Amino acid sequence: MSVPGAQRSGEPDEPTLCQDLWPSPAGSRACMSSERADLAGGGSGDERTHAPSGERVDDTKQVLDRLSFPEDYLGHADATGPVPVQFRVVTDPYGARVPAPPSRARPRHHALLYPSRDIADAARPPASRSMPDFSLTPEQESLRDLARKFARTEMAPHAAECDRTSRFPEEIYRKAFDLGLMNLNVPTEYGGSGLGLFEQCLIVEELAYACGGMTTSTIANCLALEPILLDGTPEQKERFLKPFCAEYHLASFALTEPSGGSDPGSMHTLARKDGNDYLITGDKCFISNAPNASLYTVFATVDPKLRHKGVTAFVVSRSATGVSVGPDEEKMGHRASSTSTVRFDEVRVPVSDRLGPEGNGFSLAMRTLDQTRTPIGALATGIAQAALDHAASYSLKRETFGKPIADHQAIQIKLANMVQAVHASRLLTWRAAWTIDRGQRGTLESSIAKCFASDTAFAVADQAIQIFGGYGYMREYPVEKLLRDAKLTQIYEGANEIQRTVIARELLRNYA
Amino acid sequence: MEIVVCVKPIPDPETRLRAAPDGTTLDIEGVKFVLTGYDESAVEQALLLKEGTPGSKVHVVSAGPSPRTEEVLRASLALGCDTATWVELPAGVGHDPVTSARALGKAVSALPHDLVLCGKQAGDDEAGVVAGALGELLGVPDFGAVVDLRWDAAASRLRFQRSAEAGSETWEASLPCVIALQQAWNDPRTAKLPSILKSRKMPIAKSPPDPPSPENGTSRPVKFELPPPRTGAKLIEYKTPEEAAQKLVKVLREEAKVFP
Repeated sequence: MSVPGAQRSGEPDEPTLCQDLWPSPAGSRACMSSERADLAGGGSGDERTHAPSGERVDDTKQVLDRLSFPEDYLGHADATGPVPVQFRVVTDPYGARVPAPPSRARPRHHALLYPSRDIADAARPPASRSMPDFSLTPEQESLRDLARKFARTEMAPHAAECDRTSRFPEEIYRKAFDLGLMNLNVPTEYGGSGLGLFEQCLIVEELAYACGGMTTSTIANCLALEPILLDGTPEQKERFLKPFCAEYHLASFALTEPSGGSDPGSMHTLARKDGNDYLITGDKCFISNAPNASLYTVFATVDPKLRHKGVTAFVVSRSATGVSVGPDEEKMGHRASSTSTVRFDEVRVPVSDRLGPEGNGFSLAMRTLDQTRTPIGALATGIAQAALDHAASYSLKRETFGKPIADHQAIQIKLANMVQAVHASRLLTWRAAWTIDRGQRGTLESSIAKCFASDTAFAVADQAIQIFGGYGYMREYPVEKLLRDAKLTQIYEGANEIQRTVIARELLRNYA
Repeated sequence: MEIVVCVKPIPDPETRLRAAPDGTTLDIEGVKFVLTGYDESAVEQALLLKEGTPGSKVHVVSAGPSPRTEEVLRASLALGCDTATWVELPAGVGHDPVTSARALGKAVSALPHDLVLCGKQAGDDEAGVVAGALGELLGVPDFGAVVDLRWDAAASRLRFQRSAEAGSETWEASLPCVIALQQAWNDPRTAKLPSILKSRKMPIAKSPPDPPSPENGTSRPVKFELPPPRTGAKLIEYKTPEEAAQKLVKVLREEAKVFP
């Protein structure tokens, strides 16, 4: 149920725009998607053509002939003279036609950058279109509507008050749990909602539109429970997840340490083996929901000298002897969410509560963040959309020089730039979720989505304040909170500097 | 108790509305359809009665075109209704409330029904005809603008209140009957996420519509237009209350012509 587009198969044929954009010299009216399928080796045989005459274009050469790219397209002309250009039409999910570079420069893992139809076919639902479909299924719309209703009727009315007083509105989180909006990624067999990442993103964006901080606390369980879902044994899932999800409980993901969060290899928290147990000692900081959580997924090293290879993950109960939680931190934003340090002092944890083998923790943390990074893109998109809506609506009401400020080009340009960035954030987030829901790792896509959407949220909130002018700087108006909330999205779940490192690494590995 | 609730899909009140190109109806292109607030109260009332009377079932019925009718039926199933029946009417049919009542009446007759609940009117055309017509077609009493409906099991009687012109009436009635409910008095519940997912997979029974007959479609809409945009308010500037009153009276007399 995760892939938008799958629901559209089986629709009656309809004329498409590509008929006009790509007129066929032979008079045949093959759709772009059919051409692409043909190029990719014939497609699956059920590709539909929009050919009233019944003619079907299946000659690769004929299609290639129609594409008249200049030979030095993308600047790949050889210094010794033009090389024969080998074009391969690959599909970028947003429909752009991208010619592959000439053979000598072709990256070895080109498909990672531009997942083309021939390679991705195995994971694709049968008979879906090769072009993406941006409409949601009725089910996805219902889930989004539920989140929207909850966000606007339950969260939004309390957002300003919780922000001002730094109150943790537990009654709202309990309602979110009751409605099934909390353990979104946990399969239904363990009492969760069992949603794909795409549906999670739809929900998270709606919640964040009302309050970023409340959204962080609502979805923190997804992050904390993901390691159990990924590497927990069936017995561990049964033991930890079922009782946890049956009632309202909060969990925290404890990775970051006072010395830093972006370099887990230099972790100080120690897990010392003692018979059939481990004794965990160390401090974790900036842990979301920690003051209110009953369960922690804790990352500790069995030997600091092993660096990444020593990191190991454990499930630790709040009630275990030696666990102590620091005071709730005073934060710049996300003030409806609680954050604190957690101290582990010789906390005894049985081997049966270890997730995966020793030394598996670093990989597990990275795979967890691959899953949960994309919803942060959605969260940032929700904040950005709220800032845009406030700014656009205010610009029509506020008058200067005898007319609404929306009539001034200076404001129009700001709004136009803001809406472009918000749309791009949403599409990048959807694409990352879609990629991961298809079973691919999606490291590149999710890092791009998180990084771009969070930078956008900050920039759009900043511009919203500028449009509100002096009023925007006042606490009485909602936009300054959005800027403070947006700031965190650039920092947590992997700072954007780390995201850019990941993005560059994933990019360059294809050219090495 | 077998309870049937009749619901109608109406354009989401948050939608920006416009007239269709032919100017007779609303343009439904891209419009999202939802349960009307009156119907939400009816569904909530049915579910409360079901929860208070063990062995009860709630059947939801709607008449209209695809896909909007299916969506409100699924929304009702997600709230907790047990079965759904859809009378498929072609788009454009059903603007006439008597036609809707006939279609619903036929579907209701085929279901076990001790009590039929409706919203007292639809949130879009606000015709308020269907419940009365349904009572007539089913040959049972009907009551409008009802609040605070309760089932007295010992006396096998419904007890409820009606808002009247100068006060509140209290009634009791025996089954079967049709009750049309006021909105926003029983705090309709929100469907939970697992119920929404479950409702997508539940079957919806289809009830064939009546063939077109002269009796159907006795009325039709001829024109639809949005209210004219509100003109700007006039701000009176003043230094003292006396000056404000004098200026206001002058405006009311000379511009608004409220006084002779």
